Amino acid sequence: MNLLAISSETWTITILGWLIVFAALLFLVGIFLLIPKIIKLATKRALHKKTRHVGSVPAEDEMMLTGEMNAAISMALYLYFDEIHDDESNIITIKEVKRRYSPWSSKLYGMNNMNFPR
Amino acid sequence: MLQKYKLPFLLFVLLFMGAGFNAFASAGVGTDIFEKALEGVEKFWNFTGFANAHFTNFIMIAVGLFFIFLAIRYDYEPLLLIPIGIGILIGNIPFPPGNKIGLYEEGSVLNYLYFGVQQGIYPPLIFLGIGAMTDFSSLISNPKLMILGAAAQVGIFATFWGASILGFAPAESGAIAIIGGADGPTAIFLSSKLAPHLMGAIAIAAYSYMALVPVIQPPIMRLLIPMEERKIKMKPPRAVSKLEKILFPIVGLLLTTFISPSALPLLGMLFFGNLLKESGVTERLADTARNSLINIVTILLGVTVGASTQAVRIVMDPNTGEMINKGFLSPDSMKIFALGAISFVVATAGGLIFARIMNLFLKGDKKINPLIGAAGVSAVPDSARVVQAEGLKCDPTNHLLMHAMAPNVSGVIGSAVAAGIMLAFLM
Repeated sequence: MNLLAISSETWTITILGWLIVFAALLFLVGIFLLIPKIIKLATKRALHKKTRHVGSVPAEDEMMLTGEMNAAISMALYLYFDEIHDDESNIITIKEVKRRYSPWSSKLYGMNNMNFPR
Repeated sequence: MLQKYKLPFLLFVLLFMGAGFNAFASAGVGTDIFEKALEGVEKFWNFTGFANAHFTNFIMIAVGLFFIFLAIRYDYEPLLLIPIGIGILIGNIPFPPGNKIGLYEEGSVLNYLYFGVQQGIYPPLIFLGIGAMTDFSSLISNPKLMILGAAAQVGIFATFWGASILGFAPAESGAIAIIGGADGPTAIFLSSKLAPHLMGAIAIAAYSYMALVPVIQPPIMRLLIPMEERKIKMKPPRAVSKLEKILFPIVGLLLTTFISPSALPLLGMLFFGNLLKESGVTERLADTARNSLINIVTILLGVTVGASTQAVRIVMDPNTGEMINKGFLSPDSMKIFALGAISFVVATAGGLIFARIMNLFLKGDKKINPLIGAAGVSAVPDSARVVQAEGLKCDPTNHLLMHAMAPNVSGVIGSAVAAGIMLAFLM
Protein backbone atom coordinates (compact mmCIF):
# COMPACT_ATOMS: atom_id res chain seq x y z
CA MET A 1 0.00 0.00 0.00
CA ASN A 2 1.62 3.22 -1.16
CA LEU A 3 0.35 6.08 0.94
CA LEU A 4 2.06 8.59 -1.31
CA ALA A 5 -0.11 7.39 -4.19
CA ILE A 6 -3.12 9.05 -2.57
CA SER A 7 -4.15 12.09 -4.56
CA SER A 8 -3.38 15.55 -3.29
CA GLU A 9 -7.15 16.20 -3.25
CA THR A 10 -7.57 13.54 -0.57
CA TRP A 11 -4.85 15.06 1.59
CA THR A 12 -6.34 18.53 1.10
CA ILE A 13 -9.85 17.45 2.11
CA THR A 14 -8.57 15.43 5.06
CA ILE A 15 -6.48 18.17 6.58
CA LEU A 16 -8.32 21.29 5.44
CA GLY A 17 -11.73 19.77 6.18
CA TRP A 18 -10.85 19.02 9.78
CA LEU A 19 -9.29 22.43 10.23
CA ILE A 20 -12.44 24.12 8.90
CA VAL A 21 -14.64 22.16 11.35
CA PHE A 22 -12.29 23.24 14.13
CA ALA A 23 -12.31 26.84 12.96
CA ALA A 24 -16.14 26.90 12.75
CA LEU A 25 -16.57 25.58 16.27
CA LEU A 26 -13.74 27.74 17.65
CA PHE A 27 -15.53 30.72 16.18
CA LEU A 28 -18.72 29.66 17.99
CA VAL A 29 -16.74 29.16 21.20
CA GLY A 30 -15.34 32.70 20.91
CA ILE A 31 -18.80 34.18 20.31
CA PHE A 32 -20.35 32.31 23.20
CA LEU A 33 -17.56 33.28 25.55
CA LEU A 34 -18.22 36.87 24.56
CA ILE A 35 -22.03 36.90 24.78
CA PRO A 36 -22.28 36.33 28.58
CA LYS A 37 -19.73 39.11 29.09
CA ILE A 38 -21.81 41.51 27.01
CA ILE A 39 -24.99 40.50 28.84
CA LYS A 40 -23.21 40.92 32.20
CA LEU A 41 -21.99 44.35 31.20
CA ALA A 42 -25.50 45.41 30.19
CA THR A 43 -26.95 44.02 33.44
CA LYS A 44 -24.28 45.77 35.46
CA ARG A 45 -25.03 49.06 33.77
CA ALA A 46 -28.76 48.65 34.38
CA LEU A 47 -28.14 47.74 38.04
CA HIS A 48 -25.81 50.69 38.42
CA LYS A 49 -28.58 53.04 37.32
CA LYS A 50 -31.10 51.45 39.68
CA THR A 51 -28.83 51.25 42.73
CA ARG A 52 -27.22 54.67 42.35
CA HIS A 53 -29.07 56.02 45.40
CA VAL A 54 -29.50 52.70 47.24
CA GLY A 55 -26.09 51.14 47.57
CA SER A 56 -23.33 49.37 45.70
CA VAL A 57 -23.65 47.13 42.64
CA PRO A 58 -23.28 43.41 43.53
CA ALA A 59 -19.90 41.83 42.84
CA GLU A 60 -19.39 39.78 39.69
CA ASP A 61 -19.34 36.51 41.63
CA GLU A 62 -22.72 37.32 43.16
CA MET A 63 -24.22 37.83 39.72
CA MET A 64 -23.16 34.35 38.55
CA LEU A 65 -25.54 31.63 39.63
CA THR A 66 -24.91 27.92 39.23
CA GLY A 67 -27.70 25.49 38.46
CA GLU A 68 -27.38 24.13 42.00
CA MET A 69 -27.97 27.59 43.51
CA ASN A 70 -30.97 28.07 41.26
CA ALA A 71 -32.36 24.73 42.36
CA ALA A 72 -31.83 25.66 46.05
CA ILE A 73 -33.59 29.03 45.60
CA SER A 74 -36.47 27.39 43.73
CA MET A 75 -36.85 24.77 46.46
CA ALA A 76 -36.82 27.42 49.21
CA LEU A 77 -39.46 29.47 47.40
CA TYR A 78 -41.58 26.41 46.79
CA LEU A 79 -41.45 25.41 50.45
CA TYR A 80 -42.18 28.99 51.55
CA PHE A 81 -45.25 29.32 49.35
CA ASP A 82 -46.37 25.85 50.34
CA GLU A 83 -46.33 26.84 54.02
CA ILE A 84 -48.48 29.93 53.58
CA HIS A 85 -52.15 29.36 54.43
CA ASP A 86 -55.03 30.80 52.51
CA ASP A 87 -57.00 33.60 54.18
CA GLU A 88 -59.93 31.97 55.88
CA SER A 89 -63.03 33.48 57.57
CA ASN A 90 -62.55 31.49 60.79
CA ILE A 91 -66.37 31.00 61.04
CA ILE A 92 -67.26 27.36 61.25
CA THR A 93 -70.91 26.69 60.48
CA ILE A 94 -73.04 23.89 59.26
CA LYS A 95 -74.69 24.83 56.07
CA GLU A 96 -78.40 25.19 56.45
CA VAL A 97 -80.31 22.86 54.22
CA LYS A 98 -83.55 24.20 52.86
CA ARG A 99 -86.04 22.04 51.10
CA ARG A 100 -88.56 23.80 48.95
CA TYR A 101 -92.13 22.55 49.25
CA SER A 102 -93.32 20.36 46.41
CA PRO A 103 -96.52 18.32 46.24
CA TRP A 104 -94.37 15.48 44.90
CA SER A 105 -92.51 15.22 48.16
CA SER A 106 -95.35 16.33 50.39
CA LYS A 107 -95.89 14.20 53.45
CA LEU A 108 -99.54 15.13 53.51
CA TYR A 109 -100.12 13.10 50.41
CA GLY A 110 -97.95 10.16 51.40
CA MET A 111 -99.15 6.59 51.12
CA ASN A 112 -99.20 6.32 54.91
CA ASN A 113 -101.93 8.92 55.14
CA MET A 114 -104.37 7.06 52.96
CA ASN A 115 -107.37 5.76 54.82
CA PHE A 116 -107.12 2.20 53.78
CA PRO A 117 -109.38 -0.21 55.65
CA ARG A 118 -107.24 -2.10 58.12
CA MET B 1 -71.58 -43.37 13.52
CA LEU B 2 -69.93 -40.74 11.28
CA GLN B 3 -66.49 -41.50 12.76
CA LYS B 4 -66.92 -45.17 12.00
CA TYR B 5 -67.44 -44.67 8.26
CA LYS B 6 -64.93 -41.80 7.81
CA LEU B 7 -62.15 -43.80 6.16
CA PRO B 8 -64.34 -45.74 3.71
CA PHE B 9 -66.07 -42.48 2.82
CA LEU B 10 -62.74 -40.73 2.03
CA LEU B 11 -61.62 -43.71 -0.08
CA PHE B 12 -64.88 -43.54 -2.00
CA VAL B 13 -64.43 -39.79 -2.66
CA LEU B 14 -60.87 -40.31 -3.91
CA LEU B 15 -61.90 -43.18 -6.20
CA PHE B 16 -64.78 -41.10 -7.51
CA MET B 17 -62.49 -38.18 -8.27
CA GLY B 18 -59.92 -40.47 -9.90
CA ALA B 19 -62.62 -42.02 -12.08
CA GLY B 20 -63.77 -38.54 -13.01
CA PHE B 21 -60.29 -37.47 -14.05
CA ASN B 22 -59.92 -40.72 -16.07
CA ALA B 23 -63.17 -40.05 -17.84
CA PHE B 24 -62.04 -36.52 -18.68
CA ALA B 25 -58.65 -37.78 -19.83
CA SER B 26 -60.19 -40.44 -22.12
CA ALA B 27 -62.47 -37.78 -23.58
CA GLY B 28 -59.43 -35.49 -24.23
CA VAL B 29 -60.87 -32.61 -22.19
CA GLY B 30 -59.19 -33.42 -18.88
CA THR B 31 -55.62 -33.09 -20.15
CA ASP B 32 -56.29 -29.47 -20.94
CA ILE B 33 -57.72 -28.72 -17.49
CA PHE B 34 -54.97 -30.70 -15.81
CA GLU B 35 -52.28 -28.84 -17.72
CA LYS B 36 -53.94 -25.51 -16.98
CA ALA B 37 -54.08 -26.38 -13.28
CA LEU B 38 -50.45 -27.41 -13.26
CA GLU B 39 -49.55 -24.26 -15.14
CA GLY B 40 -51.41 -22.20 -12.52
CA VAL B 41 -49.67 -23.98 -9.67
CA GLU B 42 -46.29 -23.49 -11.35
CA LYS B 43 -47.05 -19.82 -11.95
CA PHE B 44 -48.03 -19.39 -8.33
CA TRP B 45 -44.87 -21.23 -7.22
CA ASN B 46 -42.69 -18.94 -9.35
CA PHE B 47 -44.35 -15.97 -7.72
CA THR B 48 -43.61 -17.13 -4.18
CA GLY B 49 -40.62 -16.07 -2.15
CA PHE B 50 -39.37 -19.67 -1.98
CA ALA B 51 -38.84 -19.90 -5.73
CA ASN B 52 -37.03 -16.54 -5.93
CA ALA B 53 -34.95 -16.93 -2.79
CA HIS B 54 -31.19 -16.65 -2.83
CA PHE B 55 -29.07 -17.65 0.15
CA THR B 56 -28.05 -14.00 0.63
CA ASN B 57 -31.70 -13.15 1.33
CA PHE B 58 -31.60 -15.47 4.32
CA ILE B 59 -28.36 -13.90 5.56
CA MET B 60 -30.00 -10.48 5.47
CA ILE B 61 -33.16 -11.79 7.14
CA ALA B 62 -30.91 -13.14 9.92
CA VAL B 63 -29.30 -9.67 10.20
CA GLY B 64 -32.75 -8.06 10.46
CA LEU B 65 -33.80 -10.51 13.16
CA PHE B 66 -30.53 -9.81 15.01
CA PHE B 67 -31.30 -6.07 14.97
CA ILE B 68 -34.76 -6.71 16.38
CA PHE B 69 -33.24 -9.00 19.03
CA LEU B 70 -30.66 -6.33 20.03
CA ALA B 71 -33.38 -3.71 20.32
CA ILE B 72 -35.76 -5.81 22.40
CA ARG B 73 -33.30 -7.81 24.52
CA TYR B 74 -30.62 -5.17 25.20
CA ASP B 75 -32.59 -1.97 24.54
CA TYR B 76 -29.95 -0.76 22.04
CA GLU B 77 -31.54 2.19 20.17
CA PRO B 78 -34.91 0.38 19.86
CA LEU B 79 -36.57 3.35 18.16
CA LEU B 80 -34.16 2.88 15.25
CA LEU B 81 -33.29 -0.79 15.29
CA ILE B 82 -36.89 -2.04 15.31
CA PRO B 83 -37.93 -0.07 12.16
CA ILE B 84 -34.60 -0.85 10.45
CA GLY B 85 -34.74 -4.52 11.45
CA ILE B 86 -38.28 -4.96 10.15
CA GLY B 87 -37.28 -2.93 7.06
CA ILE B 88 -34.48 -5.44 6.38
CA LEU B 89 -37.02 -8.27 6.56
CA ILE B 90 -39.37 -6.40 4.21
CA GLY B 91 -36.56 -5.62 1.78
CA ASN B 92 -35.31 -9.19 1.67
CA ILE B 93 -38.50 -11.10 0.99
CA PRO B 94 -37.76 -12.43 -2.50
CA PHE B 95 -40.22 -11.57 -5.28
CA PRO B 96 -40.29 -11.70 -9.08
CA PRO B 97 -39.21 -8.34 -10.52
CA GLY B 98 -41.45 -6.03 -12.54
CA ASN B 99 -44.56 -6.08 -10.37
CA LYS B 100 -44.11 -2.77 -8.57
CA ILE B 101 -43.36 -4.50 -5.28
CA GLY B 102 -39.76 -3.75 -4.39
CA LEU B 103 -38.24 -0.60 -3.00
CA TYR B 104 -36.21 0.01 -6.14
CA GLU B 105 -39.14 -0.54 -8.53
CA GLU B 106 -40.62 2.69 -9.77
CA GLY B 107 -44.24 3.18 -8.80
CA SER B 108 -44.21 0.84 -5.81
CA VAL B 109 -45.41 2.06 -2.41
CA LEU B 110 -42.00 1.47 -0.87
CA ASN B 111 -40.40 3.42 -3.69
CA TYR B 112 -42.61 6.41 -2.92
CA LEU B 113 -41.64 6.25 0.75
CA TYR B 114 -37.97 5.87 -0.21
CA PHE B 115 -38.18 9.14 -2.13
CA GLY B 116 -37.73 10.99 1.17
CA VAL B 117 -34.44 9.18 1.73
CA GLN B 118 -33.20 9.47 -1.84
CA GLN B 119 -33.80 13.19 -1.99
CA GLY B 120 -32.54 13.84 1.54
CA ILE B 121 -35.93 15.04 2.83
CA TYR B 122 -36.16 12.98 6.03
CA PRO B 123 -32.79 13.89 7.63
CA PRO B 124 -33.50 17.64 7.92
CA LEU B 125 -36.94 16.86 9.41
CA ILE B 126 -35.25 14.61 11.97
CA PHE B 127 -32.86 17.47 12.72
CA LEU B 128 -35.84 19.77 13.29
CA GLY B 129 -37.11 17.37 15.95
CA ILE B 130 -33.63 16.97 17.49
CA GLY B 131 -33.33 20.77 17.70
CA ALA B 132 -36.72 21.01 19.41
CA MET B 133 -35.78 18.43 22.04
CA THR B 134 -32.16 19.46 22.70
CA ASP B 135 -31.19 21.66 25.61
CA PHE B 136 -28.00 23.48 24.65
CA SER B 137 -27.61 25.14 28.07
CA SER B 138 -24.71 22.90 29.18
CA LEU B 139 -22.88 23.92 26.00
CA ILE B 140 -23.68 27.61 26.43
CA SER B 141 -22.52 27.55 30.06
CA ASN B 142 -19.13 26.10 29.13
CA PRO B 143 -18.51 26.88 25.45
CA LYS B 144 -14.95 25.61 25.40
CA LEU B 145 -16.29 22.05 25.59
CA MET B 146 -17.53 22.64 22.05
CA ILE B 147 -13.98 22.06 20.82
CA LEU B 148 -14.29 18.41 21.87
CA GLY B 149 -17.11 18.06 19.36
CA ALA B 150 -14.72 19.28 16.68
CA ALA B 151 -11.88 17.03 17.88
CA ALA B 152 -14.02 13.90 17.58
CA GLN B 153 -14.72 14.71 13.93
CA VAL B 154 -11.21 13.42 13.23
CA GLY B 155 -13.01 10.09 12.73
CA ILE B 156 -14.73 11.48 9.63
CA PHE B 157 -11.57 12.75 7.99
CA ALA B 158 -9.49 9.71 8.94
CA THR B 159 -12.14 7.48 7.36
CA PHE B 160 -12.16 9.63 4.25
CA TRP B 161 -8.44 9.03 3.98
CA GLY B 162 -8.85 5.30 4.70
CA ALA B 163 -11.63 4.87 2.14
CA SER B 164 -9.47 6.56 -0.50
CA ILE B 165 -6.68 4.09 0.26
CA LEU B 166 -9.12 1.20 -0.17
CA GLY B 167 -9.89 2.42 -3.68
CA PHE B 168 -13.22 4.19 -3.29
CA ALA B 169 -13.85 7.22 -5.52
CA PRO B 170 -13.54 10.59 -3.71
CA ALA B 171 -17.33 11.13 -3.59
CA GLU B 172 -17.86 7.60 -2.26
CA SER B 173 -15.08 8.10 0.32
CA GLY B 174 -16.76 11.30 1.50
CA ALA B 175 -20.09 9.52 1.94
CA ILE B 176 -18.48 6.60 3.79
CA ALA B 177 -16.42 8.94 5.98
CA ILE B 178 -19.48 10.51 7.55
CA ILE B 179 -20.13 7.25 9.47
CA GLY B 180 -17.38 8.57 11.79
CA GLY B 181 -19.72 11.41 12.72
CA ALA B 182 -21.97 8.84 14.43
CA ASP B 183 -24.96 10.71 13.14
CA GLY B 184 -27.49 8.65 11.17
CA PRO B 185 -29.49 11.47 9.52
CA THR B 186 -26.29 13.28 8.47
CA ALA B 187 -24.90 10.02 7.03
CA ILE B 188 -28.09 9.47 5.01
CA PHE B 189 -28.20 13.09 3.88
CA LEU B 190 -24.60 13.07 2.66
CA SER B 191 -24.71 9.65 1.02
CA SER B 192 -27.95 10.57 -0.81
CA LYS B 193 -26.02 13.44 -2.38
CA LEU B 194 -22.58 11.88 -2.92
CA ALA B 195 -23.06 8.13 -3.35
CA PRO B 196 -26.73 7.05 -3.48
CA HIS B 197 -25.74 3.50 -4.49
CA LEU B 198 -23.92 3.05 -1.14
CA MET B 199 -26.60 4.62 1.00
CA GLY B 200 -28.03 1.35 2.36
CA ALA B 201 -24.66 0.09 3.58
CA ILE B 202 -23.65 3.49 4.97
CA ALA B 203 -26.93 4.01 6.83
CA ILE B 204 -26.94 0.50 8.26
CA ALA B 205 -23.29 0.84 9.35
CA ALA B 206 -23.92 4.25 10.94
CA TYR B 207 -27.03 3.15 12.84
CA SER B 208 -25.50 -0.18 13.91
CA TYR B 209 -22.43 1.47 15.38
CA MET B 210 -24.58 4.15 17.01
CA ALA B 211 -26.57 1.38 18.67
CA LEU B 212 -23.33 -0.28 19.74
CA VAL B 213 -21.90 2.86 21.40
CA PRO B 214 -22.23 1.27 24.88
CA VAL B 215 -20.14 -1.66 23.66
CA ILE B 216 -17.53 0.16 21.52
CA GLN B 217 -16.67 3.18 23.65
CA PRO B 218 -15.96 1.94 27.23
CA PRO B 219 -12.86 -0.17 26.36
CA ILE B 220 -11.33 2.78 24.46
CA MET B 221 -12.07 5.08 27.41
CA ARG B 222 -10.38 2.71 29.86
CA LEU B 223 -7.42 2.27 27.53
CA LEU B 224 -6.71 5.96 26.95
CA ILE B 225 -7.67 7.63 30.24
CA PRO B 226 -5.85 6.74 33.47
CA MET B 227 -7.98 6.08 36.54
CA GLU B 228 -6.79 9.28 38.29
CA GLU B 229 -8.10 11.44 35.45
CA ARG B 230 -11.34 9.52 35.20
CA LYS B 231 -12.13 10.63 38.75
CA ILE B 232 -11.82 14.37 38.05
CA LYS B 233 -14.88 16.24 39.32
CA MET B 234 -16.01 19.16 37.22
CA LYS B 235 -17.44 22.45 38.42
CA PRO B 236 -21.27 22.51 38.15
CA PRO B 237 -22.36 24.43 35.04
CA ARG B 238 -23.63 27.96 35.62
CA ALA B 239 -27.28 28.83 35.09
CA VAL B 240 -27.90 30.09 31.57
CA SER B 241 -30.22 33.03 30.99
CA LYS B 242 -33.18 32.84 28.64
CA LEU B 243 -31.62 35.49 26.43
CA GLU B 244 -28.52 33.34 25.91
CA LYS B 245 -30.68 30.33 25.07
CA ILE B 246 -32.58 32.35 22.46
CA LEU B 247 -29.42 33.86 21.03
CA PHE B 248 -27.70 30.48 20.64
CA PRO B 249 -29.78 29.08 17.74
CA ILE B 250 -29.82 32.43 15.93
CA VAL B 251 -26.08 33.09 16.24
CA GLY B 252 -25.25 29.41 15.72
CA LEU B 253 -27.32 29.28 12.53
CA LEU B 254 -25.81 32.43 11.08
CA LEU B 255 -22.21 31.52 11.90
CA THR B 256 -22.15 27.85 10.95
CA THR B 257 -24.13 28.19 7.74
CA PHE B 258 -22.06 31.13 6.56
CA ILE B 259 -18.98 28.91 6.99
CA SER B 260 -20.58 25.80 5.53
CA PRO B 261 -23.69 26.68 3.46
CA SER B 262 -23.96 23.12 2.09
CA ALA B 263 -25.05 21.99 5.54
CA LEU B 264 -27.93 24.50 5.51
CA PRO B 265 -30.76 21.91 5.34
CA LEU B 266 -29.40 20.16 8.42
CA LEU B 267 -28.14 23.08 10.49
CA GLY B 268 -31.03 25.34 9.45
CA MET B 269 -33.56 22.82 10.69
CA LEU B 270 -31.58 22.00 13.85
CA PHE B 271 -31.38 25.61 14.97
CA PHE B 272 -34.94 26.33 13.81
CA GLY B 273 -36.20 23.49 16.01
CA ASN B 274 -34.17 24.81 18.93
CA LEU B 275 -35.55 28.33 18.51
CA LEU B 276 -39.09 26.88 18.53
CA LYS B 277 -38.24 25.34 21.90
CA GLU B 278 -36.37 28.22 23.48
CA SER B 279 -38.47 31.13 22.26
CA GLY B 280 -41.21 30.04 24.66
CA VAL B 281 -43.98 31.34 22.39
CA THR B 282 -44.19 28.47 19.90
CA GLU B 283 -44.69 25.59 22.29
CA ARG B 284 -47.27 23.94 20.03
CA LEU B 285 -44.90 23.87 17.07
CA ALA B 286 -41.99 22.68 19.23
CA ASP B 287 -44.20 19.96 20.64
CA THR B 288 -45.14 18.73 17.16
CA ALA B 289 -41.52 18.82 15.99
CA ARG B 290 -40.14 16.85 18.93
CA ASN B 291 -42.97 14.32 19.15
CA SER B 292 -45.33 13.59 16.26
CA LEU B 293 -43.14 14.81 13.40
CA ILE B 294 -39.90 13.15 14.46
CA ASN B 295 -41.76 9.93 15.27
CA ILE B 296 -43.43 9.78 11.85
CA VAL B 297 -40.19 10.55 10.02
CA THR B 298 -38.23 8.04 12.14
CA ILE B 299 -40.70 5.30 11.20
CA LEU B 300 -40.51 6.10 7.49
CA LEU B 301 -36.73 6.57 7.51
CA GLY B 302 -36.05 3.40 9.51
CA VAL B 303 -38.26 1.12 7.44
CA THR B 304 -37.11 2.43 4.06
CA VAL B 305 -33.42 2.43 4.97
CA GLY B 306 -33.82 -1.13 6.23
CA ALA B 307 -35.69 -2.15 3.09
CA SER B 308 -32.96 -0.64 0.92
CA THR B 309 -30.65 -3.49 1.95
CA GLN B 310 -32.05 -5.82 -0.71
CA ALA B 311 -29.56 -8.70 -0.98
CA VAL B 312 -30.28 -9.40 -4.64
CA ARG B 313 -30.88 -6.54 -7.05
CA ILE B 314 -30.29 -7.33 -10.70
CA VAL B 315 -29.68 -4.21 -12.76
CA MET B 316 -28.19 -3.47 -16.15
CA ASP B 317 -24.61 -2.24 -16.11
CA PRO B 318 -24.71 1.11 -17.93
CA ASN B 319 -21.21 0.52 -19.36
CA THR B 320 -21.37 -3.09 -20.56
CA GLY B 321 -25.13 -3.66 -20.86
CA GLU B 322 -24.77 -6.87 -18.83
CA MET B 323 -27.18 -7.78 -16.03
CA ILE B 324 -25.32 -7.58 -12.74
CA ASN B 325 -26.21 -8.02 -9.09
CA LYS B 326 -26.09 -4.69 -7.25
CA GLY B 327 -27.35 -6.20 -4.03
CA PHE B 328 -26.43 -5.17 -0.51
CA LEU B 329 -24.06 -8.04 0.28
CA SER B 330 -21.04 -7.04 -1.73
CA PRO B 331 -17.33 -6.63 -0.94
CA ASP B 332 -17.91 -2.86 -0.91
CA SER B 333 -20.49 -3.20 1.89
CA MET B 334 -18.04 -5.27 3.93
CA LYS B 335 -15.35 -2.61 3.44
CA ILE B 336 -17.83 0.08 4.51
CA PHE B 337 -18.64 -1.85 7.70
CA ALA B 338 -14.93 -2.24 8.50
CA LEU B 339 -14.25 1.43 7.81
CA GLY B 340 -17.25 2.43 9.92
CA ALA B 341 -15.94 0.47 12.92
CA ILE B 342 -12.47 2.01 12.56
CA SER B 343 -13.90 5.53 12.17
CA PHE B 344 -15.92 5.11 15.36
CA VAL B 345 -12.86 4.04 17.29
CA VAL B 346 -10.75 6.88 15.85
CA ALA B 347 -13.48 9.46 16.58
CA THR B 348 -13.80 8.32 20.21
CA ALA B 349 -10.03 8.26 20.66
CA GLY B 350 -9.74 11.71 19.05
CA GLY B 351 -12.19 13.23 21.53
CA LEU B 352 -10.55 11.55 24.53
CA ILE B 353 -6.98 12.51 23.58
CA PHE B 354 -7.98 16.09 22.83
CA ALA B 355 -9.68 16.34 26.24
CA ARG B 356 -6.41 15.24 27.86
CA ILE B 357 -4.50 17.82 25.82
CA MET B 358 -6.99 20.53 26.91
CA ASN B 359 -6.32 19.60 30.52
CA LEU B 360 -2.65 20.50 30.07
CA PHE B 361 -3.72 24.12 29.62
CA LEU B 362 -6.44 24.23 32.28
CA LYS B 363 -5.74 24.88 35.94
CA GLY B 364 -7.39 23.95 39.25
CA ASP B 365 -11.15 23.45 39.26
CA LYS B 366 -11.33 24.37 35.58
CA LYS B 367 -9.87 20.99 34.59
CA ILE B 368 -12.23 18.74 32.67
CA ASN B 369 -12.83 15.03 33.05
CA PRO B 370 -11.30 13.60 29.85
CA LEU B 371 -14.04 10.96 29.64
CA ILE B 372 -16.42 13.59 28.28
CA GLY B 373 -14.25 13.78 25.14
CA ALA B 374 -15.80 10.48 24.04
CA ALA B 375 -19.19 12.21 23.84
CA GLY B 376 -17.89 14.38 21.00
CA VAL B 377 -19.03 11.70 18.53
CA SER B 378 -22.60 13.08 18.35
CA ALA B 379 -24.72 9.88 18.88
CA VAL B 380 -27.00 11.94 21.13
CA PRO B 381 -27.60 11.10 23.96
CA ASP B 382 -26.12 7.59 24.02
CA SER B 383 -22.46 8.56 24.19
CA ALA B 384 -23.19 11.07 26.99
CA ARG B 385 -24.95 8.27 28.88
CA VAL B 386 -21.94 6.00 28.38
CA VAL B 387 -19.68 8.74 29.81
CA GLN B 388 -21.98 9.08 32.82
CA ALA B 389 -21.93 5.32 33.40
CA GLU B 390 -18.12 5.12 33.11
CA GLY B 391 -17.70 8.12 35.42
CA LEU B 392 -19.93 6.53 38.04
CA LYS B 393 -17.94 3.30 37.87
CA CYS B 394 -14.80 5.20 38.89
CA ASP B 395 -16.47 7.44 41.46
CA PRO B 396 -20.12 6.84 42.40
CA THR B 397 -20.53 10.52 43.34
CA ASN B 398 -19.23 11.91 40.05
CA HIS B 399 -22.09 12.75 37.70
CA LEU B 400 -20.82 13.71 34.25
CA LEU B 401 -24.03 13.58 32.22
CA MET B 402 -24.65 17.33 31.98
CA HIS B 403 -20.99 18.02 31.20
CA ALA B 404 -20.93 15.28 28.54
CA MET B 405 -24.02 16.70 26.86
CA ALA B 406 -22.00 19.75 25.80
CA PRO B 407 -19.51 17.92 23.52
CA ASN B 408 -22.35 15.59 22.55
CA VAL B 409 -24.55 18.30 21.04
CA SER B 410 -21.55 20.15 19.64
CA GLY B 411 -20.69 16.85 17.91
CA VAL B 412 -24.04 17.08 16.11
CA ILE B 413 -23.16 20.59 14.92
CA GLY B 414 -19.61 19.50 14.08
CA SER B 415 -20.66 16.49 12.01
CA ALA B 416 -23.23 18.60 10.11
CA VAL B 417 -20.52 21.19 9.37
CA ALA B 418 -18.17 18.38 8.27
CA ALA B 419 -20.92 17.03 5.97
CA GLY B 420 -21.28 20.48 4.46
CA ILE B 421 -17.53 20.68 3.90
CA MET B 422 -17.54 17.26 2.21
CA LEU B 423 -20.39 18.37 -0.04
CA ALA B 424 -18.59 21.60 -0.92
CA PHE B 425 -15.39 19.75 -1.82
CA LEU B 426 -16.87 16.74 -3.60
CA MET B 427 -20.14 17.77 -5.29
